[in-house]
Amino acid sequence: MINALWNNLDYAASIVLFLIGLYAVIAKDNLIKKFMGLNIMETAIFAFIVALGVVDGGDAPIMGEGARAPFTNPIPQALILTGIVVAVSTTALALSLVIRIHKQCGTIEADELRELE
Amino acid sequence: MKKALVSALLILTAIPLLLAVGQLPPHGSAKSPAYEHVSAYYLEYGAEEAGAENIVTDVILNYRGFDTNGEVTVIFTALAAVMGVLLLGRESRHPVEQPTYPPSIVVRFIVRLLAPFIAMFAIYVILNGHVSPGGGFQGGTILGALAIALTLVLGENEARRLIPEGARPWLQAAAPLTFVGIGLAGLTDVGVYLGFPTVETLTWVRTMWLLMLEIGIGLGGAVIISSIFWTMEGER
Amino acid sequence: MSQVFDIVLLLLLITCAVAVIRSKDLLAAAIIFSAYSLIMCIIWQLRGAPDVAMTEAAVGAGVTTVLFLVTISRTVRREK
Repeated sequence: MINALWNNLDYAASIVLFLIGLYAVIAKDNLIKKFMGLNIMETAIFAFIVALGVVDGGDAPIMGEGARAPFTNPIPQALILTGIVVAVSTTALALSLVIRIHKQCGTIEADELRELE
Repeated sequence: MKKALVSALLILTAIPLLLAVGQLPPHGSAKSPAYEHVSAYYLEYGAEEAGAENIVTDVILNYRGFDTNGEVTVIFTALAAVMGVLLLGRESRHPVEQPTYPPSIVVRFIVRLLAPFIAMFAIYVILNGHVSPGGGFQGGTILGALAIALTLVLGENEARRLIPEGARPWLQAAAPLTFVGIGLAGLTDVGVYLGFPTVETLTWVRTMWLLMLEIGIGLGGAVIISSIFWTMEGER
Repeated sequence: MSQVFDIVLLLLLITCAVAVIRSKDLLAAAIIFSAYSLIMCIIWQLRGAPDVAMTEAAVGAGVTTVLFLVTISRTVRREK
């Protein structure tokens, strides 16, 4: 198994990053720290999907004069471009909600918010 | 106690995930199933059929154009939601004359010196997105970041004049409106929503179609990112 | 030689992620998050995905970090 993981090092690193982000979302109390963990989870999944399309010795998929086969797979890259835009949209909305919560309740720790009502 | 329990559970989850990942087709092989069928067609016929030499731009604006339509709608909805959360129930706007902690004179001078060059580079990235890495959204983000830097240096009142007040709602909605407009033009021309004109020899017509879409996404993205920053920053 | 470089970059990525989680000063966490985004961009450029790398560099260092800094300036600075 160690040999199989050594060949697929990119995939293993993205799984480890995903679990680190998940730990931050579950176990940390501060709301901003939870959103940083969510962002780390999202970029880990982007790294996993782009790594699915990498070819050894591959070039960027741009036709022109100096292009040689083989090329990296262009479809995962197109998916991830849309994914990055969606990630930044959710981050913007989440952080503006945090600002509003702080203005209204005075605190952004999850356990204090739970005892507030 | 809670953190130790969560760590133990996550390490227990990691083991079957790592076992599963080890059995995927080896990283970097050219025979993986994701590479054989559709990507080979796009790499071979994409350049003449879709009008761009950058195959990724090809895929996101022509072959999978509907996904990009959804993406620009998502970021426009995020702007509407941010304004709704932060602006409703606020009293009148407090006019901000100058930045509360003005940066030092070196920073002010360098930002004002570099601003035209950054704008020129951003426009280059937008317009060259079909022959080199880049594209609409990348250039739009660079323009938005330039507006943010100028806000920090010049103060919010001066920087807001970069985007005129009357045109601001139309510019914020530029990206979804461009997509719908070009989609309807494709509907009347080819018969399919977001269809490209399929005349065989005129590749430059398809390239012009792509460029209009990219300029729409670029301008819309820039104004949306600056507006999100100005809405979040105007809170006191 | 390039494989050593790959392994060093991946280890640096995991170290940055752990440092973001464990730091109690939120401003330091935001800056380390920007460095994490930059290392991810370099890894993608080395793998042959320049479009994704440019988008991640522009969005990660330009937009997400700025939004985090605006939020930290309007709320708390240290985590309890």
